[in-house]
Amino acid sequence: MSTGTIVFIFLAVIAVAVLIYVVGAYNALVILRNQIKNAWSQIEVQLKRRHDLIPNLVEVAKGYMSHERQTLEAVTQARAKAAGAKSVSDISRAETALSGAIGQFLAVVENYPDLKANQNFLALQEELTTTENRIAFARQAYNDQVLFLNNKVEMFPSNIVAGMFGFRKGQFFELEEQSERAAPRVSFG
Amino acid sequence: MFWSVIAENKRKTVSLIVLMGFFLISSGSMIGMALADAQHPYAAGLIGAAVAGAVWVVMLLVSLFASDNVLLGLTHAREVTRDMYPQLINVVEEMVIAGSLPHMPRIFVVDDPSPNAFAMGKSPDKSCICVTAGLLALCDRDELQGVVAHEIGHIMNRDVLYMTVAATMLGSILFISDMFVRSFRYTSTTRLASRSRRAGGGAAGPLLIVSLLLAIIGPILARVLYFSISRRREYLADATSARLTRYPEGLASALEKIGQSPVMLSSAPSAIAPFYTVNPYRQHISSGAFATHPPLSERIQILRAMSHGAGYTDYLKAYVRVTRRRRALLPPGDLTERGKVDIRQASRDGCSAPATRAESLRRAGDIIRALNDFAFITCACGLRIKVAPEYPKDRIACPRCSRVHPVQRSGAAAVGSLLSASSAMGAPAAAKVVCPGQEGGHPSERTVQEARFVPGRWQKIACEICGHGYEISPRFSGRRLVCSGCGAVIRFSRAAGQGDGSSGIPA
Repeated sequence: MSTGTIVFIFLAVIAVAVLIYVVGAYNALVILRNQIKNAWSQIEVQLKRRHDLIPNLVEVAKGYMSHERQTLEAVTQARAKAAGAKSVSDISRAETALSGAIGQFLAVVENYPDLKANQNFLALQEELTTTENRIAFARQAYNDQVLFLNNKVEMFPSNIVAGMFGFRKGQFFELEEQSERAAPRVSFG
Repeated sequence: MFWSVIAENKRKTVSLIVLMGFFLISSGSMIGMALADAQHPYAAGLIGAAVAGAVWVVMLLVSLFASDNVLLGLTHAREVTRDMYPQLINVVEEMVIAGSLPHMPRIFVVDDPSPNAFAMGKSPDKSCICVTAGLLALCDRDELQGVVAHEIGHIMNRDVLYMTVAATMLGSILFISDMFVRSFRYTSTTRLASRSRRAGGGAAGPLLIVSLLLAIIGPILARVLYFSISRRREYLADATSARLTRYPEGLASALEKIGQSPVMLSSAPSAIAPFYTVNPYRQHISSGAFATHPPLSERIQILRAMSHGAGYTDYLKAYVRVTRRRRALLPPGDLTERGKVDIRQASRDGCSAPATRAESLRRAGDIIRALNDFAFITCACGLRIKVAPEYPKDRIACPRCSRVHPVQRSGAAAVGSLLSASSAMGAPAAAKVVCPGQEGGHPSERTVQEARFVPGRWQKIACEICGHGYEISPRFSGRRLVCSGCGAVIRFSRAAGQGDGSSGIPA
């Protein structure tokens, strides 16, 4: 065997190895991107669920909380704004506001024992709680996936493959924990 | 998800199936030889082996394809729908989302007053979660979520695959040895006697002893193997629960409640014991090779020690700190976690728990302590630390979760806040609102609000400072009211006003 053949075989082996790596990395990136899409659609389902729930909640609460009109209106307006949002960052902002309004509403509800005893309201409140939780958990799952993708897109050597096929970084879905910020300080001093 | 654990579970399942096959076939042939006539011991052994092999194949098929139904049938669980248990279904769906499971598990409820739960199924695609009615009655939403997440953790880590197969295999061994003991009893009284008369003993004697040994040792071995598997898994499922719910206190307080519950599970067959969140036979077997679960108190302590975050790494750190074991739960590098997972707040519906007698007694004690200058600190783990005035340092560590808190000396102001806190207590995270009105300490310095009392009808007013609402009865005869939210004074003017009842407070 001449040296030319050996060099040729050597190069061919390297080329095949590189090809295998590129195919593997490409597929991994596609899987991640689809998982992110999937996780995002899960968030959208839950947000939609929340938007559908709010009018019912306001309707039930209205009868009991006639002089809390401001709070109820804030919830309704925040919902309308959130339902109209399009981009990820817009949605993040609008949903944060909505979460805040709902938190405010639920805090005010504490003052209305009649309302709290209403069976319809209890059922709706459970639905609202679970929807809020689902949004939080779906968001967490989504952000985990986005973090994975972003790491792949940024880190060597998968960033080369990502650049070749135009994989872009995902956008995190941030909901500021407004309820946490607005929570009363605990103090027994 | 713990990939090494998943791989280990799959590997163990396969080797368990192979081992069980070996054990069944060899013991089957022994039994066959023991029972056979002296002329054809080996042919009989072959027949025995074939029968045992057939049993093994049937058991294998059952454990892989129908185990859920068989095992659930043993516990008398019934499948439930959303109309019956909306909160349970919601909580499971939340955890399915959090864990990104491909399918919703089937949900079962056992009508048993003892609080417990278990999961089954061979993969996350096909799994089921079962809780007892006692658990549903005892736990609030966050606690139920913690327990359900623990079960989801078992499903995610494929613990249920191994346990389901092991339970079915164990059942098969018990079944076969039981059959053997019965047939032996029959043989020893009739056939053995006649045979020993005919052939004078022969080769049947030693074979009989060996097969008898097998029949005795087999079940014991199976139990040791089976019970020794699940302790590490319980810790890891706890870690998954904390990570999924982002609220370790939920599972911790659920475990505490379960541990304090005096009711024992009445309908748990021993083959299913390791499935449960908490060992149903905890009073009988607590530790050693037969223990299926780690001690509850240790699990609770670990969960409560997770003060910095709810991620897997936080759990593993807490594990090392609490148990002081050198060996970590997981090999390093097995974690798929990056970034920090924050602990979330308690959910709101825990606040409305009614006060029990013990609680009201404790509150009365607290008021007396507050009068004696005790300092009160509410720790994030839910414990209220009472610091005596003689306590010399200005920092104190929580005895339950060891978070460090600064000690603030306070005067009589604490009394007012305590009196008012009696409405908000009951839930650990129910925060007490501090209003500007209460800082005045002495009643005369408190903020005074004016309100108009409208005779003859119910009226609603709200405290201007803290927003606490009141419904005033038409028969209310007092002149003033001290806000239980912040200690501010609301003074009523008794003019025969006509304004609508809702706008009780003039601006």
